[in-house]
Amino acid sequence: MSSADAIKLADVEHRYGDVTAVGPVDLTVPSGEFLVLVGASGCGKSTLLRLIAGFEEPTFGTVHTSGSPPVPGRGAGLVFQQPRLFPWRSVGGNIALALKYAGQSASTADVELLLERVGLHDVARRRTWQISGGQQQRVAIARALAVDNPLLLLDEPFAALDALTRERLQEDLRTVSATRTCVFVTHSVDEAVFLGSRVVVLTPRPGRVALDLPIDLPRTGITPDELRGLPEFAALRAEVGAAVRSRTEVTA
Amino acid sequence: MTILSAPPALSADPSPRRSAAAPKKRRRIALRLLALVVLYGLWELAARTTRNPTFIPSPGAVWHQLIQTSTTHDGVRGYSGSLLIEHLGISLRRILIGSVIGVAGGLVLGVLMGVISWLRVVTEPVVTFVRALPPLAYFSLFIIWFGIDETPKLWLLSIAALPPVAVATAAAVQGAPTGLVEAARALGAGRWEVVRDVTLPNALPEIFTGVRLAVGMAYSSVVAAETINGVPGIGGMVRDAQRYSQTDVVVLGLFAIGLSGLLIDALLRTAENRLIPWRGRA
Repeated sequence: MSSADAIKLADVEHRYGDVTAVGPVDLTVPSGEFLVLVGASGCGKSTLLRLIAGFEEPTFGTVHTSGSPPVPGRGAGLVFQQPRLFPWRSVGGNIALALKYAGQSASTADVELLLERVGLHDVARRRTWQISGGQQQRVAIARALAVDNPLLLLDEPFAALDALTRERLQEDLRTVSATRTCVFVTHSVDEAVFLGSRVVVLTPRPGRVALDLPIDLPRTGITPDELRGLPEFAALRAEVGAAVRSRTEVTA
Repeated sequence: MTILSAPPALSADPSPRRSAAAPKKRRRIALRLLALVVLYGLWELAARTTRNPTFIPSPGAVWHQLIQTSTTHDGVRGYSGSLLIEHLGISLRRILIGSVIGVAGGLVLGVLMGVISWLRVVTEPVVTFVRALPPLAYFSLFIIWFGIDETPKLWLLSIAALPPVAVATAAAVQGAPTGLVEAARALGAGRWEVVRDVTLPNALPEIFTGVRLAVGMAYSSVVAAETINGVPGIGGMVRDAQRYSQTDVVVLGLFAIGLSGLLIDALLRTAENRLIPWRGRA
């Protein structure tokens, strides 16, 4: 593993009982890359992310993040499919907890600043159930970004949101994640090509790398609509979509 | 930077809901009042039909006892030298002390049972065993151990209050949602930080239900606790009156226990709504 590699998976296989969910997978993610894992439901995308987060240990092979085996809460921020906010804490209290665990200052100003980074204003004192689903997911992203971790892991964070909110959050995520290595799990081909600097398509269970594609699209000086309108975007989306479909049909 | 303004928050204006709820509330109160009137009528009818005040005293007789036990009359102060409010106050004090000790013990035991699996294996049958025992069964033992003063009464009420809180807390702690525990761990929380910041707050609604049950248990055990040397005390007053077949005083005592129990449960419910606003929203 070179010093520039943020994540390295070597011959990783993971089983739940007799069922092999993932692997074997070899994957290296350089620092600063935005890797998107795509595949059909149940192909092991989330398992792979949980292995990288340290919530699961591989049955075979090794997982390293920043040169050592991953430990939950150390070196990586994690955003789940559901916001998973603590309802007994205010919106600001949820952010403050992340700062507290990291031993950082959790002043009102710090919390407000983090919320503003994800486009939220004047919600710090509200209860988590008093804000919309999209706002809750923004809070979850702010909470994951609160500590300056080099890694950001996102497990289908926008899957439960409506199309408009999803697009807004995709745009915002591109901005706030610019300085980090990201691994993003999704089953949306469009989302994968829009967000990723690299897309990995997984086969149906057990998840293996079916396609590993760099996404060489302009990221600055272009609006989201312009990006989606590029012929290259359409070509990449078609290529990734074909890979996902062909793999799904093989097993169907 | 393409951060767009977030959609407006879902803030409901409570006024239309309040205006819609008002007639419902009035209807509920009216229904309850009607039920009370019907019950009163049935009671009066039963008392007149049986014509045996030792079997069923009339509402009027119980009302008369309320006045008698609440005042000094013919040189006699209340019942057995104490006013009804004093009997009730002493019993409530016993219930409060017993409940506080029982709830505190049940809380600590429940958290430990929920977190440490071997401890749960060891203590669960014991807690269930104690829970199944009627309070009078172990009261005899406390009398032998501690005599007939306050100590055995407080022990009885504490032991009666402990199991509901311990069981509710253990179940809630054990059933902490994996999703929220993982969310805390992903933020860097250690084992005890997870317990403090996730497991316990998440368990609070169930713990509060356990507390209400515990106070109810202490309430229902107070008559047993005041069986011996229980005067002054509402349970002692009831037992004493039973010996002399003063059914009207017995009924009055039951009303005093029941109504004060309702009041305390209402206070606990109010505290619960204020302290746990997220109940049902997690």
